[in-house]
Amino acid sequence: MAFNMGQRAPAQFSFEAQPMQAQGPPMFSSEGVTNLSTEPKSDQIDHGVTENPYERRFSPYDFNGGTTLAVAGKDFVVVAGDTRMSTGYEILSRKVPKLHKMTSKCVLAAAGCKTDVDTLKSMLSIRMKMYEHDMGKEMSTTAVAQMLSNTLYYRRFFPYYSFNVLAGLDSEGKGAVFSYDAIGSYERVPFSASGSGQSYIIPLMDNIVTYKTRLDEKVELSIEETVSIVKDAFVTAGERDIYTGDGVLINIITATGITSELFPLKKD
Amino acid sequence: MSILQYNGGAIIAMTGKDCVAIASDTRLGLQQQTVACDFQKGFKMNDKLYMGVTGLATDVMTLSQLLKFRMNLYKLREDREMKPAVFSALLTSILYEKRFGPYFTEPVVAGLDENNQPFLSAMDLIGAPVSTSDFVVAGTCTPNLYGMCETMYRPDMSPDELFETISQCLLASCDRDALSGWGAVVTVITPEGVTTRKLKGRMD
Repeated sequence: MAFNMGQRAPAQFSFEAQPMQAQGPPMFSSEGVTNLSTEPKSDQIDHGVTENPYERRFSPYDFNGGTTLAVAGKDFVVVAGDTRMSTGYEILSRKVPKLHKMTSKCVLAAAGCKTDVDTLKSMLSIRMKMYEHDMGKEMSTTAVAQMLSNTLYYRRFFPYYSFNVLAGLDSEGKGAVFSYDAIGSYERVPFSASGSGQSYIIPLMDNIVTYKTRLDEKVELSIEETVSIVKDAFVTAGERDIYTGDGVLINIITATGITSELFPLKKD
Repeated sequence: MSILQYNGGAIIAMTGKDCVAIASDTRLGLQQQTVACDFQKGFKMNDKLYMGVTGLATDVMTLSQLLKFRMNLYKLREDREMKPAVFSALLTSILYEKRFGPYFTEPVVAGLDENNQPFLSAMDLIGAPVSTSDFVVAGTCTPNLYGMCETMYRPDMSPDELFETISQCLLASCDRDALSGWGAVVTVITPEGVTTRKLKGRMD
């Protein structure tokens, strides 16, 4: 029987681990005492609360709601975000915009946990200022897009709870929209909607902007048409999503600059 | 995964001017595996009344057969057709009977009443009804369906416009849902008659 000191033969281990319940009721009279480990459990339904211990944890995340949408045009981008900030079923403010200006040609729209969004924005602003001092010019939209992706991935194992959409003009002057997930995976797309109301808006944009499931000829949309579609989308999302409403801040980015419009929504 | 999302599905019913339309996809799946693309979810109850049922497929079939049986019995006893509002109330009652062991379905009722006025109603799995004048949706991609219908719906559409609108709403919504799609059927009910068409959509 030459066992190594550190190991046990499997048969021996399982024999030792057999439960004591097979021995029947305790030997001494103990009517008032219940020995939990030998008492049969078949008459109780345990919902995982007593048998398996569980923790109540502090969650570092909160969801402040909201929806954002960006649509790229030929030489412009329309980016919009609602202005409601909420927590649970309560509204904290009706006038908090979700759009953050990055450069004169680029805007970040982000919904999710407001503190994470603000911190992310300030991280990016600091890096962008350093770039402007070093390089003597503003960061291009594609460079900001890559930097945002890297910044998000730095926090791969404790992510920023931020659903980002970056919108701007690329170096050729064409509209660019980049869509992100929470840990930095990104892609350039014709449009992007994210946040609590994204499911209401995305199929609509598929149909109207990219002409999917349509047999008629695709037509380039003008700025006014795009803004009108964006307003319709937010009215719809505001109707059906409780976290979206109060107002929409719409930014239109063109070669001449960024114009802003506040479009009111239902306050319920 | 929720039981109501086990088989997948999507249904819309919409009203127009003196007409209603009901559209459903035809996918049957076992979670992510698609098993059939010709599974019927819209059932004709009588010439002016259709019922669409989504949810667990076995309950879809059972419920539609049960309702057909009850309608036939009513017709034999009363010697008249069942009105859509009465049918909806019957369905509510049947679902609530099983309050603590429900049919895992979310049915939708669409029809024309005796004055050829459109009637719509939808229910949750234990029979809580909602009757609207514009549209009702049910299935695994309800946010998508609500978004599309809310934007695209206009009151008093003609049967052809209604068909076009409801088809676009269903196809665009199903294309963004993995559990719905794989074919679609649209039925338009008018006082003159019923037209059923199959839609050509993405088969993925």
